[in-house]
Amino acid sequence: MAHVVLKDLVKTYGSFKAVNEVSLTVNDGEFVALVGPSGCGKTTTLNLIAGLIPMTSGDIVIGDRVVNELDPKDRDIAMVFQNYALYPQKSVYMNLAFPLQMRKLRRDEIDRKVREAARVLDMTQLLERKPRELSGGQQQRVALGRALVRDPAVFLMDEPLSNLDAKLRVQMRSEIKRFHQDLKATIVYVTHDQLEAVTMADRMAVMNGGYLQQYDSPAQVFAHPANMFVASFVGSPAMSLIPLEASTANGDTVLTSAEGWTLQLSQLNARKVQRATTKKVVLGARHSTIKLHKSAVHGAIPAKAYTVEPTGDVTFVQAFLSGAIVNISVPPNIAVKPDEQIWLEFDQERIHLFDGETEMALEAN
Amino acid sequence: MTIVTGKTGARGRLRPLLRKIWEHRADYAYVLPAIAVMLIVIAYPIYYTIELSFFNTPPGLQLRDKIFVGFGNYTSILTSPVFWKVTSNTLIWTLASTFIAFVLGFASALALHRDFIGRGVLRAILIIPWVISAVAASYIWKWIYHSDFGIIGAVLVGLGLADRPPNFIDSVSTVLPSLIVVNIWREFPFAMIMMMAGLQTVPDQLLRAAKVDGANAWQRFWHVTFPHLRNVSTVTILLLAVANFNSFIIPWIMTGGGPSNASHIWITHIYELAFGRQRWGVASAYSVLLFLILMTLGYFYVRALSGNERKDGSA
Repeated sequence: MAHVVLKDLVKTYGSFKAVNEVSLTVNDGEFVALVGPSGCGKTTTLNLIAGLIPMTSGDIVIGDRVVNELDPKDRDIAMVFQNYALYPQKSVYMNLAFPLQMRKLRRDEIDRKVREAARVLDMTQLLERKPRELSGGQQQRVALGRALVRDPAVFLMDEPLSNLDAKLRVQMRSEIKRFHQDLKATIVYVTHDQLEAVTMADRMAVMNGGYLQQYDSPAQVFAHPANMFVASFVGSPAMSLIPLEASTANGDTVLTSAEGWTLQLSQLNARKVQRATTKKVVLGARHSTIKLHKSAVHGAIPAKAYTVEPTGDVTFVQAFLSGAIVNISVPPNIAVKPDEQIWLEFDQERIHLFDGETEMALEAN
Repeated sequence: MTIVTGKTGARGRLRPLLRKIWEHRADYAYVLPAIAVMLIVIAYPIYYTIELSFFNTPPGLQLRDKIFVGFGNYTSILTSPVFWKVTSNTLIWTLASTFIAFVLGFASALALHRDFIGRGVLRAILIIPWVISAVAASYIWKWIYHSDFGIIGAVLVGLGLADRPPNFIDSVSTVLPSLIVVNIWREFPFAMIMMMAGLQTVPDQLLRAAKVDGANAWQRFWHVTFPHLRNVSTVTILLLAVANFNSFIIPWIMTGGGPSNASHIWITHIYELAFGRQRWGVASAYSVLLFLILMTLGYFYVRALSGNERKDGSA
């Protein structure tokens, strides 16, 4: 296994910048997820690491080698594709053997490695089948096996689960995680599903518009999103972002809404707002940190329930506040009706504050 | 199950069938005109050809006075040296044209599959032989090959490669290859278009997977592209083979089958027997034999097509 270093990686198509000075380090044995919406440059980044498309500038290091000019086959990588990309005319055995044959290994060695990979992935009984005779999950396992037999320095995975149905996806998710733990493999994993990234990765690189937005552990990304994009992208339902205005009342820093209400701030949050260069502040709060009251409470803000979505475990309530949609989760035993008057109380310890102009998170120091 | 007697059993089976037909009477009415036309223009000629093939029709005798000869026409065909000459010509013509046109078309398709400047123009130019009229092309090639005025002869003599213009289509040994060249020139664009369409369906991800797996350009072609094109190749080859077996225009216009049957293939021979020498019976017997051969080819064509569907259905 090996580490991967991207340094100021740039890929342009004409005047369009698909990947913009992305720098990150994947440690040896680390599982890193590249995550972001469609067209954010995550797959392009992966293809650049694989060497399937030429980069415009920057450096890629795999192990201790700069691989900028190397062909994919010489980079010591293996790739798992979204559509599995199994060779349809070849049996599972021959699919697994193919990368070894291309490396001109001896036949008995190929046989040993193929059978070992099949054993690890529990598909020895499938070796003689053709890919079209397998279920989606089995095909994906063969694709993993084809990457595994090579014993590569780095595994590159391009949305390997997005073609599976929801139930199978959850199952394969844990299989891939187990695969990573058992092999201590270095994995770069592309997904548009933030839940996959959060549940599987050691660290996640959130991308948008070709830029790396934040690169940290899922817990850190979740707890301390660097900017409004990351805040709204990670977590489901998305973090509510409420545009407000900073002002001073009786010497205290407060946030006021165009709707007329004001929100008192804790000392720490007040310091964050005071350090901002703009009056425009965006308040971010996750659904679970907002308390819903059915009668007026000191410090709670009045709102009107818009929709109510029971899911069984929790009930999600949506309300409009200062022109933004706010998601609140409540226990299922609390009955809320649409258009009912409610009061929302924010947890000062767990709210996020963003600069309304730069969209960056506000820091206290 | 109860055991029924033959009579009620037959009625028991017949009734539901009749009722079904009656229920769908409108549907049958819709297809009736098409069936009627097909019976008149396809089924009846086939029947009449088969019937004629058992009769002798000497020129000068009216067709209704034809003489029944049983399998006489067939035996005289199969024992005639001309039959074997024409058959070997047809086989050479069909196999050589089909194989070379396919290889050339496939190669052009592969070349045109890459992105380069002028690709669209080149593609348009390469399709020209297929879209211009076969009759016009045949006359043009006749002049190109002409031993006195042909441009190939003139160029060869001009370059000093030959003392006098070679005989392309007036010589027994060169006429068939010369016609095959024209035929290949005319139909390779068809193979090219078919294979170009096939190439576009090769999944990009598979090619990239093979690249990561360490396959070079030739190995990617052999392990990914070529297997993927197996079905479209089969269909293309079969369509070319049937078209070549049925060729008429090029040999008929350029040589009329000559010199001394050297460029006669089945269709031109049948045409000459029937409409040149009024030997309807023999020509019909030839047609029946050809019909049987083409039906066999057609069977494989349909099987290749349905094999295609079966694979797509399970994928």
